[in-house]
Amino acid sequence: MKRFNIALAQMTCTRANKEANIQKMEKYIQKAKAENASLIVFPELALTGYILRDQIYELAETIPGPTVMTMEKIAKRENIHIIFGMPELSEKTQAVIYNTAVLVAPKGYVGKYRKMHLPTHSVFEEKRYFRQGYKPTVFETELGKVGMLICYDAFFPEVSRILRLEGAQLLVCISASPAVRRHFFEILTVARAIENTVFLAYVNLVGLENGLQFWGGSRLIAPSGKILIQAKYNEEHMVVGTVDYSDIKPVEAFVPTLRDLRPEIFQMLQELSEKL
Amino acid sequence: MELTPEILKINPAATAERIKTFIKDMVKKTGTNGVVLGISGGIDSSTVAALSTLSLGSEKVIGLILPEDETYNETDIRHAKRVAEKFRFKTVEITITPVLEAYYKTIPIFDSMEKISRGNIKARARMIYLYYYANKLNLLVCGSSDKSETMMGYFTKWGDVAADIAPLMDLYKTQVRQLAKYIGVPDEIIAKPSSPNLWRGQLAEKELGIKYETLDLILYGLERFMSTKEIAKQLQLNKQLVEKIKKRWLRMEHKRQMPLSLKLTYRTVGKDFRLYHTQ
Repeated sequence: MKRFNIALAQMTCTRANKEANIQKMEKYIQKAKAENASLIVFPELALTGYILRDQIYELAETIPGPTVMTMEKIAKRENIHIIFGMPELSEKTQAVIYNTAVLVAPKGYVGKYRKMHLPTHSVFEEKRYFRQGYKPTVFETELGKVGMLICYDAFFPEVSRILRLEGAQLLVCISASPAVRRHFFEILTVARAIENTVFLAYVNLVGLENGLQFWGGSRLIAPSGKILIQAKYNEEHMVVGTVDYSDIKPVEAFVPTLRDLRPEIFQMLQELSEKL
Repeated sequence: MELTPEILKINPAATAERIKTFIKDMVKKTGTNGVVLGISGGIDSSTVAALSTLSLGSEKVIGLILPEDETYNETDIRHAKRVAEKFRFKTVEITITPVLEAYYKTIPIFDSMEKISRGNIKARARMIYLYYYANKLNLLVCGSSDKSETMMGYFTKWGDVAADIAPLMDLYKTQVRQLAKYIGVPDEIIAKPSSPNLWRGQLAEKELGIKYETLDLILYGLERFMSTKEIAKQLQLNKQLVEKIKKRWLRMEHKRQMPLSLKLTYRTVGKDFRLYHTQ
């Protein structure tokens, strides 16, 4: 499918209440379907809320698992693709958890991405609770090639670049970004789209958790860096925009960043970062 | 980084909006009927009371004016009432002198000449009134501590700092002044010297030994990991003064945390029992 509608559903979550959050997601899914969306995206850890601290051990689930099965049923019934965030429990252990984005299609579960860069500074304590992911992965779907990244990953251009080099046409970045960091994300999300000549959908959490105010402002960005649609700041809101892959080629020819890549400097990047 | 007054500038409109959202959200999530605040007629409590009414509406805010004989100041009471009139919230005035005297009389080791311990009784007595109203009327106690005094530990432990929410705690005093001006707190309240009023003639800047304009720049530098040497150099201050401020900030951490617990078992309150505010 070259052209389709995408719904960006920035929601507030009821913390540690998966049932309530799934119900809310289901309402947004129905609303998105009514607006002819083929894909709906929810924020990072939308299943549980972001600040969970020790309660995360009670909430994490395997993927596939009960929640993914529920989302598969909804996706099938509504004939829609869904991306959402949840804490993922490793199948092999009882307390190893990943901060994961899940992609479900009308035909069923497609795949997952485990957050590679876990912020553990300022108000963030993700490394205390999560194991990092190891691989950016692109998924072949009816909506083209889709790559996922999560929040702080956007600060590391390597993740988006790898996804793009694997052929991604659409990058989906789910996020839980508090208000003091808004200016970073407003710049970085546009930068990731431009430097990779790719569509980028950014969906942020909204509302207050533990004194942290998430700013919303979800947006769909064209490969040119143009913001095609943007949700409101600081309140629950869903917006629907159109992804048209035929828009990639003219930008790719106009700003040929992929043609001009210099692989020989990547080795240098590795060496220098190992010696930092 | 240059330590100039410019760096302390806030966007007062956006800040007021965020604080109003926070207050409203906390009242909603806790299922309470509103907030109760102690209002002294000073800038911090006037600002947070005004923001509370702008956020929740007049009906959901009660201001307690809690004077006592020793530090009774008609101007402060007039200021407290003026803010209440302007922002239309209800006030209750209760003289706490009889309660204080009961403490003075019944504490066997009470020393009327030692003003800090005596003054702290006043702040803690006010806390009891605020929490009575909160419990009885299902309200949140809304504190008015700012970042300058919180970092300095310039407050009474379990006294004026005791609250359920502290909407101004991440704003330095000079930033509260900007916010106060923006929301329309009367100029005479903004301009008058700050005082905890625990004894007659007590003035914050005199006691801290520094003007808030300078203190806030020092604290801003410390917050951003600047060395005391660099801060002193930039602000053309004596390095000892900056070091004294830094030491006080660090030494006062005990006033900002739950009591220090001893690790004895599997998960320990205040250490690795890491839970979140359900709100």
